Amino acid sequence: MAEPLLEVKGLSVDYEVGAGTFHALSEVSLELPAGHVVGIVGETGCGKSTLAHAIPRLLREPPARIRSGEVRFRGMDLLTLPKWKLPLVRGTGISMVFQEPINSLNPAFRVFDQLAEAVRIRKMRESGQAPGLVPGSEGFDYSKREGPKPADALTRPLLPSRPEARKGFSRVLHRVDFREDALDYLRLVRINDPETILDLYPHELSGGMRQRIMIAMALSEKPSLLIADEPTSALDITIQAQVLTLMKELIEEIRTSILFISHDLGVIAEMADDVGVMYAGHLVEFGPVDDVYEHPRHPYTKALLRSAPNQYKDDGPLPSLPGSVPNLSRLPSGCSFHPRCPLAKPVCSDDPGPVLEVQKGTAAGHEAACYFSEEVAGLP
Amino acid sequence: MGRSKGDLVIFVSKRLIQLVAVLFGVVTITFFFTHVAIPNPCYVWSGPRATQATIQQCIDKNDLDKPLFDQYVLYLGKLLSGDWSTSPRGVPVLPTILAAFPETLELVLAALFLMVAVGIPLGVIAANNSGRWSDHLVRTFYLSGWATPTYLGGVVLSIAIGPLVGLPHSGNFGSIPSFPEPFHMSVIDALVSLNFPAVVDAIAHLILPATALAFINLGIATRMTRGSMLEVLPMDYVKTARIKGLSDFWVLYKHALRNSLISTVTVLGITAGSLLSTSVVIEEIFQWPGVGRYAFESIVKYNFNGTIGVVIFFAVGVVVANLIADILYGLLDPRVDWR
Repeated sequence: MAEPLLEVKGLSVDYEVGAGTFHALSEVSLELPAGHVVGIVGETGCGKSTLAHAIPRLLREPPARIRSGEVRFRGMDLLTLPKWKLPLVRGTGISMVFQEPINSLNPAFRVFDQLAEAVRIRKMRESGQAPGLVPGSEGFDYSKREGPKPADALTRPLLPSRPEARKGFSRVLHRVDFREDALDYLRLVRINDPETILDLYPHELSGGMRQRIMIAMALSEKPSLLIADEPTSALDITIQAQVLTLMKELIEEIRTSILFISHDLGVIAEMADDVGVMYAGHLVEFGPVDDVYEHPRHPYTKALLRSAPNQYKDDGPLPSLPGSVPNLSRLPSGCSFHPRCPLAKPVCSDDPGPVLEVQKGTAAGHEAACYFSEEVAGLP
Repeated sequence: MGRSKGDLVIFVSKRLIQLVAVLFGVVTITFFFTHVAIPNPCYVWSGPRATQATIQQCIDKNDLDKPLFDQYVLYLGKLLSGDWSTSPRGVPVLPTILAAFPETLELVLAALFLMVAVGIPLGVIAANNSGRWSDHLVRTFYLSGWATPTYLGGVVLSIAIGPLVGLPHSGNFGSIPSFPEPFHMSVIDALVSLNFPAVVDAIAHLILPATALAFINLGIATRMTRGSMLEVLPMDYVKTARIKGLSDFWVLYKHALRNSLISTVTVLGITAGSLLSTSVVIEEIFQWPGVGRYAFESIVKYNFNGTIGVVIFFAVGVVVANLIADILYGLLDPRVDWR
């Protein structure tokens, strides 16, 4: 089997703040094969965002500290890479869409300046004028994109704005060369009237619009891996639906590899091939999304699925899980879920806790970290 | 959106109208302060061995026997007609200031340049390494500048460090220049005359006084930059810049600094005004032929007309510096309306 695009092995991250050491991630391991969409679900504070930021080394260190582990991306260990080499991996290698579109575009620059900057970095790397990872060819295909839609014909100039001869890379590329590219990517994320939008400042755009531009910016570098860190959580519900539909369509169009972080089980079911469930900094279950949802093998996954609102089930209050998430600075010994677990036995509090194990009798690649995973099916 | 060229014109015109009011107030206050404190300076002006006739002649010539308010109206009228009167010795005020003010402006601009070119990068370095030794080093450096009295810093640079490093430490030219001085700014005059040895000489003379002036105020630029960088660095758009694949240099100096500069520029505008008044001390120490020295001499020698003239120029300087800061503020932050 070929090496996966991204392989996270035993990643542990702490936050060292005045109040103590918070174990945000404990021994998280997962694989993301090229062309796959892997979803990560979990409740607030379970370490999803820390995981998303730790992979491209975007955590602010300090207060964050990567205690141990390995993040192998296209054959490189990102955690041992010298700091100055990290920018070479970012962008064309790993790109990211953040949670808050309000803050994620620079307020001082026009949309065009920010988009052209991304396109320029990619083209400079492709042409060998700047060092950095060249977009790989693992399992994604930008050529499948549809041609311009009829509406675009109205806004697209009849003649190309620059002579073809300039396309030779004999000179250093300048951002004004990328207007057409920038327009293409705005059309890709279904923005009407991209010509006007390009010359606006971020504060003149709505949240949904800004998030589309963030997505366009991330895709314009043709990243091998796109990390989407709750890209719709900060948007209101109708815009959420639009952006999700867009992302769903883009996943179909551009089979790129995506790590999709969300707290919404339904969104993950729609988007992802595989899903990882996180609890208190641990990855407790991982597997093909249908199999995990149908046959959960960890009591936390079971409880999470049971407490999700269901429009067809209208018999009384939503079930909830007793107890609350443990304080990350004082994790319980052994399995961190055992204080709330209906299956807990004395062995569950013995260190070290259970690790991810392949589950028999399920789809291939389904793993769970529970000593009594066979009994989960019998829970209510 | 209040950001068209027309809005800028309206914005600038409004501020210039305000300037008239500021100038009127400044002239009035300075006039009454000087004339009430010393109602009859003729005893000083005429010298220790003056006869009663000479003093009477001086009083008549300067209308000092008229009621104070009449003197004020007379003076205002002359001021408005462009005649800024003369010093007691008969030297006209306006031409003297016009020749000296650019020299001071040159000094202040050089100091501002140093504050921007040194102070802002230091602030960025300190913020990016906050809590580490380089941060502490930068903070010690600018705090020591801040804590140094103007005269002490100037004197130390002038008599200790200047001779040590071999930099000239008085006046703006080593010898009397052999070329015209249309701008009264030594570096520019030398440049215009294409006299390059003189350019080097002029810059060499500028270094110490400008450093003295900048060192004391460097802390403001560094501290503001450091503070606002610390606010900007955790923002998502800095992460966006990093994840794009930009190197640390561009992330810091393009994406983060651009947003931090807004507060730095505001403070620099205020500081530029106060640099003018600090220059009074610095020019005296370095024998710089600027308006600061003229102000000092005017005050010591009861040259009321000279004092008022200098105050007018300083007031214009302060208002214009703040106006430029406000315009830059709008240029830096596209969310600001010019209104």
